[in-house]
Amino acid sequence: MTLLDFARGPAMQWAFVIFGIGVAWRLVGMFLLLRDRAKARARRDAPVSDGTRAIIMRSVPPKELEHHIVFQHVSGYAWHIGFFVTILFFGPHMPFWKSILGFGWPTLPSEVITVVGAITIAVLIALLVRRLSHPVLRVISTADDYISVIVTILPLLTGLISYANIGFDKETNLALHLLSIVLVLVWFPFGKLMHLFLAFPTRYKAGADYGRKGVAA
Amino acid sequence: MARLETVGEALARQGVSRRAFLKFCAATTSLMALPPSMIPRVAAALEAARRPSVIWLSFQECTGCTESLTRSDSPTVEGLIFDVISLDYHHTLLAAAGEAAELDRKQAMEENWGNYLVVVDGSIPLGNPGYSTIAGISNVDMLQETVEGAAAVVAVGTCAAFGGIPHADPNPTGAVGVGEIVKDKPIINVSGCPPIPVAITGVLAQYLTFGQLPEMDELGRPKAFFGQSIHDRCYRRPFYDNGQFAESFDDEGARAGWCLFKLGCKGPITYNACATVKWNSGTSFPIEAGHPCLGCAEPNFWDKGGFYQPLSEVEWGGWTQLGTAAAAGAAIGAASALAARSKQKKAREEEA
Amino acid sequence: MSGLGDIAVAVEITTGNVTPLLHEVRHALQRLLDTGEPTVIDLHSLPLAPGELAALENELGEGEVSATLNALGPSLLRETAVPGVWFVTHRNANEEITGQYLEIVKIPAILEAQEVDIRLGIAALSENLEQTKAQDHRDTQDGST
Ligand code: SF4
Repeated sequence: MTLLDFARGPAMQWAFVIFGIGVAWRLVGMFLLLRDRAKARARRDAPVSDGTRAIIMRSVPPKELEHHIVFQHVSGYAWHIGFFVTILFFGPHMPFWKSILGFGWPTLPSEVITVVGAITIAVLIALLVRRLSHPVLRVISTADDYISVIVTILPLLTGLISYANIGFDKETNLALHLLSIVLVLVWFPFGKLMHLFLAFPTRYKAGADYGRKGVAA
Repeated sequence: MARLETVGEALARQGVSRRAFLKFCAATTSLMALPPSMIPRVAAALEAARRPSVIWLSFQECTGCTESLTRSDSPTVEGLIFDVISLDYHHTLLAAAGEAAELDRKQAMEENWGNYLVVVDGSIPLGNPGYSTIAGISNVDMLQETVEGAAAVVAVGTCAAFGGIPHADPNPTGAVGVGEIVKDKPIINVSGCPPIPVAITGVLAQYLTFGQLPEMDELGRPKAFFGQSIHDRCYRRPFYDNGQFAESFDDEGARAGWCLFKLGCKGPITYNACATVKWNSGTSFPIEAGHPCLGCAEPNFWDKGGFYQPLSEVEWGGWTQLGTAAAAGAAIGAASALAARSKQKKAREEEA
Repeated sequence: MSGLGDIAVAVEITTGNVTPLLHEVRHALQRLLDTGEPTVIDLHSLPLAPGELAALENELGEGEVSATLNALGPSLLRETAVPGVWFVTHRNANEEITGQYLEIVKIPAILEAQEVDIRLGIAALSENLEQTKAQDHRDTQDGST
């Protein structure tokens, strides 16, 4: 069995098993541990609109801070969008999605994806450097933060390398690319990558439970 | 060692004119994938080169490789390479058979000890010596005996190079390539199922011209022919880059000649010269005919998933497996949540 | 059905290699003029889509000279409409193409009579002459008796 066969077959299968167990474990565990009832009641009883509001409000920077966090804000959005464009709209990725979902969708020219992918890597590396050099950020960063960023960069990097046909031979490059995805799947449930599933529900839950705090002006 | 005549002498003896010789040199240079500016040097080297003696052994094979090389029945320039080497033993082409032929082989070996080339096509079964024999001699024994006095071994075809189809799972005969058995001689692998004829003659031409084996890649294949992937040199590459793929063999994309990646093309991981040298005297090659590359020049190409399975398609296990995993995960999650709750409750009760 | 041409397959693919190739030819021509150095381009060493070779041939056009060489099969050496640019196709005895080149040269070297062959020719001719001379000699002797 070559590395590529291993990456496409057993490694990928185990990755999905671990991913499935891990994600379900965390979601179910968290759900069952929800407080039955908030101790501090919301001022008004409108959980749906308050929850939705929280999702939106927390997706844009607060007015007071807007000017101070332009870089984090823009770069954060930029790489998330770049990341998803790359994995969802690169032509050769389509058989991957098709093999899982059973259907596909139109894709973008590879040149576009190459540029988007390269920018995404650049932004992620810039953010990683910032995390390492910013005194406050460095103190509050945990191993999870570093692992999650690196695990996210690797598929982009190996993908670009294999597209550009540099480094090892194409087959090894492709195998490493697939293994980097295996790594994402395996790490996913146990680190901050889990926010893909949790970010919006937790915002919603907080909004629905507490509504808007403070004095109504 | 018997003094072998030079290539120049051999050609002159056959009444080949200087112009014809130059044409032969042009073809040879291009066979070796050298730039045309090398033609004069090739001509000079070829004139003085001695004709090497070649012993060709055929083991577990389908004769496709020999066929690929000799399919033509009147002299070709590739064929001429054969005329100028001295092919002393090739049991498929030899009129004699059995022990008489074996005598030829032994004689050629003795006369050219230390200098002859051994060309092998077909894999060697290690399971049971009786699986494949020639004049009662098992393939392994014949190979080991013959390579002893050889200068180098050329493994022609994926079977001889990497085991090929006989080696495919479950490999009933225990077939292996030459490299698994011969460890102390230079081996050059000219893989392909069959190999491109000029890749075979190119290696022979190189040996003939410069008396040495060409530069090889990490799988022991001549770089001149296996240095770049099919994908690197594929004329459909612009479509790959544009994200334009044929989705089936009869859709618009297929008709428009789009990239065959999604139909399972193994071009990106296959190193061979089909995309430039092409087949049938440069007529076309599989991708040009609308069929994805099978990857026949690579080890284990037979066992690399389906021929029509795209490279980026993964065997991820399926929804049932994922569902089962999720169910297991959910059970663990529920158990741990309940455990946490009862712990909290206990703590609260103790506090109270 | 009478042939492949009848199947409705519209293939218009370009590798984009034709134009750079023509630029290379132009540089080679300039070099030929300046230094006399000829250039040979192996047309099988670069990827060309179906039809691109024909496009290239079309682009270069038909010149004044065309020569056939019969050695190990027919070879066609055709000057293109661009003087100094030759389209060379070598074929084997089966008429299969063994090589295709663009030669940028005043006259392809292979067309010139080769010294080795000239020497062989002289030898053959001398031998012929010797024989005729001997024959004549015999004839006169026969006649005198
Ligand atoms: S047809 Fe195959 S080799 Fe050609 S570009 Fe597409 S994937 Fe690459």
